[in-house]
Amino acid sequence: MTIFLRILLAVGMACGVLASAGGIHAAAAKSLNIVFVSPGKTGEVYWDMVAQTMRAAGRKLDAHVEVLTSERNYRTMQELGLGVVARADKPDFLILSNEESAAVPILEAAEAAGVNTLLLSNTLIGEDAKRLGPPRQTLKTWLGDITTDLQTAGARMANALIATARAEKWQSPDGKIHILGIGGDEITPASIARNAGLKLAADAAPDVVVDRMLFANWTQSEAEQVTANYLGWAARKEIRPAGIWAGNDPMALGALRAISAAGLVPGRNIEVVGLNWSEEALREIKAGRLLLTDGGHFLLGGWSIVLLRDYADGCDFADASPRVEVKTSAITRANLGSVGDLIKTRAFDRIDFTRFRAKAGHCGQYDFSLDALVSSLALPDGVGD
Amino acid sequence: MTGPDRNAQAAPRRLRSVVRAMIWATVPVLLLVQLFASAGVEATSFWSQIRQLDARIARTAESRAELIAEPLWKMRYDQVTGVLNEILHDETIAAAAVYDDTGVAIARVVARPSDQVAEISRPINYRNGNIAVQAGRIAIAYSYTTVYADTGGRLMLLLVVGLLATLATVVAMRISANIFIGKPLAAIMSAIQRSKQDGRAYPADIRSSNEFGQLAQAFNAMQHTTSGALDRLGHMASHDPLTGLPNRRSLTERLVTLSGDAGSPDTLIAFCFIDLDDFKGINDTFGHDAGDRFLVHISERLRESVEPQDWVARLGGDEFVVIRPEVSNEATAQGFARQLLDAISEPVRLHDKQVVPRASIGLAVRRAGDPELSHLPALADIALYHAKSKAPGTVAVLDEALQRDYRRRRDLELAIPAGFAEGQFEVWYQGQVDLDSAAVVGLEALIRWRHPDHGVIGPGEFLPLIERSGNNARLTRYVLTDACRALQRLAAAGRPDIRIAINLPPSELADHSLAAELRATCARFDVAASMLELEITEGSLINNIASASETLHRLRRLGATIALDDFGTGYSSLAHLRRFPLDKVKIDKAFISEIPDSAEDKAIVGVIASLAGTLGLTLVAEGIERAEQAEAMREIGVTLGQGYLFHRPQPLAAVLQGLEGRSVESRVRSPSIAPEFAA
Repeated sequence: MTIFLRILLAVGMACGVLASAGGIHAAAAKSLNIVFVSPGKTGEVYWDMVAQTMRAAGRKLDAHVEVLTSERNYRTMQELGLGVVARADKPDFLILSNEESAAVPILEAAEAAGVNTLLLSNTLIGEDAKRLGPPRQTLKTWLGDITTDLQTAGARMANALIATARAEKWQSPDGKIHILGIGGDEITPASIARNAGLKLAADAAPDVVVDRMLFANWTQSEAEQVTANYLGWAARKEIRPAGIWAGNDPMALGALRAISAAGLVPGRNIEVVGLNWSEEALREIKAGRLLLTDGGHFLLGGWSIVLLRDYADGCDFADASPRVEVKTSAITRANLGSVGDLIKTRAFDRIDFTRFRAKAGHCGQYDFSLDALVSSLALPDGVGD
Repeated sequence: MTGPDRNAQAAPRRLRSVVRAMIWATVPVLLLVQLFASAGVEATSFWSQIRQLDARIARTAESRAELIAEPLWKMRYDQVTGVLNEILHDETIAAAAVYDDTGVAIARVVARPSDQVAEISRPINYRNGNIAVQAGRIAIAYSYTTVYADTGGRLMLLLVVGLLATLATVVAMRISANIFIGKPLAAIMSAIQRSKQDGRAYPADIRSSNEFGQLAQAFNAMQHTTSGALDRLGHMASHDPLTGLPNRRSLTERLVTLSGDAGSPDTLIAFCFIDLDDFKGINDTFGHDAGDRFLVHISERLRESVEPQDWVARLGGDEFVVIRPEVSNEATAQGFARQLLDAISEPVRLHDKQVVPRASIGLAVRRAGDPELSHLPALADIALYHAKSKAPGTVAVLDEALQRDYRRRRDLELAIPAGFAEGQFEVWYQGQVDLDSAAVVGLEALIRWRHPDHGVIGPGEFLPLIERSGNNARLTRYVLTDACRALQRLAAAGRPDIRIAINLPPSELADHSLAAELRATCARFDVAASMLELEITEGSLINNIASASETLHRLRRLGATIALDDFGTGYSSLAHLRRFPLDKVKIDKAFISEIPDSAEDKAIVGVIASLAGTLGLTLVAEGIERAEQAEAMREIGVTLGQGYLFHRPQPLAAVLQGLEGRSVESRVRSPSIAPEFAA
C-alpha cells in the first residue's frame, strides 16, 4: 500500500513538472483549443481512456482539450456537436467519432462554420462516404480521420493462437487445429475488421479450422454462454478445441470462465486471445490464462492531438494521407511488465507525446508502435525528473 | 264361432297402422343415410384436417428451422429455446425439440403430454455468404386431439341435427300421413264399420282429389251398388219371391214388433194360420207352374180381402198367415177368418178348368200383452192341425181342449222312441170265426200302447203319430215278429191252422224290402208265410198303384194272403178288386152296425157279397156285436166274421187259453180296453 501511494505521489509530481515544461514549449506556438464529443458514456473504459490520453497529450502539446460526453445517445451527440460549431468562440478543432453515422450532420455544420474536424476511431461509411468522398474534398474542413488497423489486430491474435496450438500439437483427431471465433457483432466496422483478420489468418493456415464464428454482443456473459455451448458441441463432435479468438477482452474473459467451467485449463490445454488491453485481461495474462490482449487503440486520443498539433504547426499529416491508420499491439506475458502499470494506473502523463510528433520534412509519418510507446514512457516513480 | 272366441283370436293380431309401418320403414333408412352421410362428410373433413394439420406443422417446422438456424449455428441456445417456445402458442403442438448437428437436443419444450402424437422433423440449414451447412434439425410432436375433438364435436352436432331432422321428418310424415292416408282410411273404415253395424251401405266422406279421393269415390260407388244389392237381398230375405209377400223370417220379426205396435196390452190380436187343402193334388194335376200361379192367385185374394192394417205373409208351400192387429173379440176374429176362407174359395181358372180352392184356418187370438205372443204361429198351428184332421175347409179356433190335445199328442210323439225301447207296444189278437161253425179260423193282430202315464192307448190315436215320426216300418216289423211268434205258439198249442192277419200301413206297400223281411221273419220262427194275411186299405193302393201292386204280388208269391180292409168306406172301387191280387175283402163295420135294421146296408153288403163271390174273394164282416148281425151275414153269404160277439182283442196268452178251453166268448175276460179304432 505504501508503495502504491508513493507511486501516485511520484506520478503527480512528474505531471506537474511536465505540464509546466509543455507550457513553456508551446508558448512559442499558438495554444490550441480542441473539443472532443465522445459518443460513449461516462465510465465507459475505452472512451474514458481515449479522453484521458487526449488530455494527457494536450497537456504535453499545448492544447486545451474539452471533452463532451454523449452518454451513448447519438441525438445528444449531434446536439453537443452542433452546439460547439455554433459557438461564438469557435474551437480550433472538433474531434468526432462517427458512431452510428451520427457525426455527419456535425461535419457539415462545421464545414459551414469553418471549424476543422477530425474523425476518430469511426470514419464515414457507406452512403456518407460515397457522397462526401475523401477528407478535404467536399468538406474542406474535414481534415481527415485517425483509426486503428483492427483487421491486422484480428489476424495477429489468430496467428498467436495458431502458433501456440501448432507448438503444443493441439490438433484434433482430424489433424486440424480447431478454433472458436467470438465476435462482438456482425455489423459495426470495428467488429467486421477484427473478424476479417481472424478469417484472413485462418484462411492462410490450411491446418486451421474456425469451427464457428459466434457473436456475443461484446459482453462477457454471452461469450461465456456461447463458449460453453461450443465446448459442449466440440466434445460431442470429438473435436479438441485449441483456441478461442475473442473480439474483445470481456468476451475473452467470458470464454475463460466457460473453459474453466468445462474442466479445461486455459493456458495449458487451450489458449484464449482478447483485445482491448483491459486491466482484467492483463491480470489473466499475468496469471498465464490469457495468451494475449491486442489493442492500445485508446491511444488514438493522444495520437489525434499529436496530429492536430503538427497540423496547426504547419506539418500537415495529409502530406502522407489524410487517413491515419494506427496499428495496434499485443500485450503478452513477455511485454506485460512495461505497459501493465501504465494501463492499470492510467498514468498517461508518463507518455511523452512530444516524442511522437513528425520530424521536420517527414510530415504525416508517425511511429505509434508499442515499442515507441514503451520507450517514451517516463519512469513511473518519477526517476525522469 | 262366438264373440269372445273371435276376440281371443283377434287379440294377438294387433292392428298395425299403415302410417306407423311407413314411419318404421322410412325412419331407420333416413337415420342410416343421415349417419352415413354425416360420417362420410366428417371422415373426409377429418382426413383433410389431418392433412392440413400435417402441412401446417411442416410449415411451422420449416419456418422455425429458418428462424432457429442462425442462433443454433451461432450457439445462442437461449435464443433457440426462445424461438422454440413461441411454437407452443400453437395448441396442437405437444412438444418440440431442436437438435444440433451432433444429434443432441439443444432445446426442448413440452407443452402438454399427449397420447396421440405425430412427429415431424425438418433439417435446420444455416447459410451465410461463406457457408451452407445443416446446423441440426427441428422435431415437432403434435397432437391430433383437437382434430379429433373438432371432428367429434361436429359429428355430435351432425348427429343431433340429423336426429332433429329425422324427428321433424317423422312428425311431418306423421302429420301428412295422417292427413293424406290416415284420415281417408279412417273415413273408409268408419263407413265400413257403420255398414257392418246396421247392414246399410254408408259412403266414406272424403273430398280430396288424390288417389284416396279416387279410392273413396270407387268405394262409395261400390257402397251404392252394395246398398242396392243389400236392399234387394234384404227384401229377398224377408219376402217370398213368388208372391212378393213377407216370408217366415218377416213373420219372426213381425212377431217381435207386434206387441209394441199395439195400442194397449189388452188389444186382441188375431192370428190366422191358413193351409190350402190338397194343394199337392193341384200340383200333381196341373203341374207346378199352375200350382205357383194358383198360389199367386191365393195371395192376391188374401191381400185384397184384408184391411191396410192387416198383415199377410206366405210361410212357404201352401201356408199363409194373416194377422189382424186389433179385433174386438174372438167372434169378430172368427168372422174375419171365415171371410178369408170365403175369399180363398172363389173358383180359380187353371188350364181352362175351374178349380175351387179350399183351405183350413187355425185361428189364435191373444192379448198384445200376452207373454206367449211369439208362440202365436205354433198355437194357430195347433188349431190348424185340428181343422185339417177333423174338419178340413173350416176355421178352427184355438181353445183349451185343442191345446190339451196338442200337448198330449206332443207328449206321445216324444215318447215313441221310449215306447219301442221299453216294449210298451203290445200286440193283441182278435179272432175271426167261421160264421157257420163259430170256429176260430184266424186272428187279427191289433197294436196297443201301454203308456206308463196315459195308460193303454188305442192305435187310432197313436198310429198317425207313428206315421208322422217315420216309425211305420219299425212298428210293422214289430207286429210281424210278434205275429210270427204267435203262429209258432199256435202251432205249438196244436192249432197250426189258425192264420194271423196284420195291418200294413200305406207307406209299407212302397217298401220293396217288406217281402224279403217277411220271408226272413217267417224263417226265423219256422212258420209258413201262407199263415200270414196282410190287410191293406184302399187309400194305400190309390197313392202308389204300381209300387203297391208289385209289393202285393211279391207277398202273395211268398204265400201270404192279401185282404182289403175297411171296404165300402173309401172309394170302394170295383176296379181295385179286379186289379190287385186280393184274397179277401173285409166289409167295414159301418155297414154292419145298422144291420139288420137298415135294409140299405143289407143291400149294400149283399151286393158286395155277390161281387166277391163272382171274383172269388172271401168276405169278412167286421164289428159283429150281436147274434142277429151274425145271422144276417150268414144269410147274405158272408162266410167269416169278426167282432165283440165272438172275440174281443186279447193278449195272445188269453187267446191261447180261450182256444184250449174251446169256450167261445163267455169265458174270455179280456181286460177293459179302449174300443178298437183301427182296422
